[in-house]
Amino acid sequence: MEKYNPKLVCFSCKFGWGYLTEEPALASKINSWIPVVCSGKIDTSHILKAFRAGADGVLILGCSEGHCHYQDGNVQTKKKVFLLQKVLETFGIEPQRVEIRFSLDPEGKSMPHLLNKMKENLIKLGPVKRL
Amino acid sequence: MANKPKVAIYWLGACAGCDEAIVDLNEAILQVVETVEIVLWPLAMDFKYDRIEAMGDEEITLSILTGSVRNSDHEEMARLLRKKSKLVLAFGACACFGGTAGLANFKTREDIFNWVYRDAPTVVNPETKFPQTETRINGKILTLPEFYDHVYTLNQIIDVDFYLPGCPPPPDLIANAVNAVVSGDLPPKGSTLAPRSALCDTCSRNKKKPSRMEIRQIKRIHEVEADPDSCFLAQGIICLGPATRSGCGETCIKTNIPCRGCFGPPPGVVGAGPKYLSALTSLIKAETDEDIREIIDSIDDPAGYFYRFTEPTSILGRKMPGKQMEE
Repeated sequence: MEKYNPKLVCFSCKFGWGYLTEEPALASKINSWIPVVCSGKIDTSHILKAFRAGADGVLILGCSEGHCHYQDGNVQTKKKVFLLQKVLETFGIEPQRVEIRFSLDPEGKSMPHLLNKMKENLIKLGPVKRL
Repeated sequence: MANKPKVAIYWLGACAGCDEAIVDLNEAILQVVETVEIVLWPLAMDFKYDRIEAMGDEEITLSILTGSVRNSDHEEMARLLRKKSKLVLAFGACACFGGTAGLANFKTREDIFNWVYRDAPTVVNPETKFPQTETRINGKILTLPEFYDHVYTLNQIIDVDFYLPGCPPPPDLIANAVNAVVSGDLPPKGSTLAPRSALCDTCSRNKKKPSRMEIRQIKRIHEVEADPDSCFLAQGIICLGPATRSGCGETCIKTNIPCRGCFGPPPGVVGAGPKYLSALTSLIKAETDEDIREIIDSIDDPAGYFYRFTEPTSILGRKMPGKQMEE
């Protein structure tokens, strides 16, 4: 049997994550990486569409609290994610499949590690059961 | 007489509330009957299906179909009426978006059968018998329609020309729709025969909405005495007005009940549920993660709230029989 390799979509804020590095170089280490202008720009439907398209998990990386370039976009998305996790459960998608982290990492050095850590958790969960 | 346009009214997976709404046209229905010939309407009159089968293709001018598609009988009738009709109107929230019946998509067919025929406390079924599509008794075969694993909207099964949402649609929009068909003054195919704005735009409570809304506690309508003039959301009561199309006549709002979203999303919105979710959370005012979670955890069955009428059209819930939906 082929080893299960979870598909992970990573949205990250350009103001906090990986802006000092060459985007293509970092992108080569992270599949399905979508840098956005602010984590607050991530619409709930983007996350759902990722699952619809076959993602096993979604990782959202925003700026640390108090450091949002647009005042509180990160917090707005955090609230969305908390509620979305409850909604996803009804659809048969475990809440752990959406993770949100706030920090600053201009060189994006920790990003591949964070992705791998989430992938390990997804391997424990296995593929999305319903859908 | 012979030249009157023919109209069929048929229920699929419906509760007959939509049929009742047509009856509620009251005197106006007499004018409708003057101008059209009703060839099928199980709620009101006796007709035989083989008469419809014997008709020529597109002989019926308009088929008004209510309800979702949940079993093989619904599908068969939807396909038959599509073939025999020039125009098909998806009538009511169930035909348009799946309706409340669509919430059944949160469970599998197996879950539903197990509960309804085995596990519910009121069920007595010692031999655990489940409905079969074919049963042989004394050499005869009895048949039942096949119960599908999914609730479909009408347009996931057949081509639909027009949509009239609502649970049920209000009389003025029904009369407009019928008149448009009779007079031939029709909007482009695929149109929804209802206004384009969101409910909040026409809501009388909008005037008393505070400039900055902050929800610190979610309340359910039966737990409080809601102020009859103030915005529900400003009172912490979940109201789907921001993500719902107007045109319903605001019967709920006028009786001090928040909008539940039976008119579906305004035009251009795919997935009213997530849009509403984003809008609602942006109003939540809390400092710490614990406080945010406390407010969110107090929302009972959020998926049921946000997808009450639209689950089968939602990003995660939609399905087309036999093929994968493109996103």
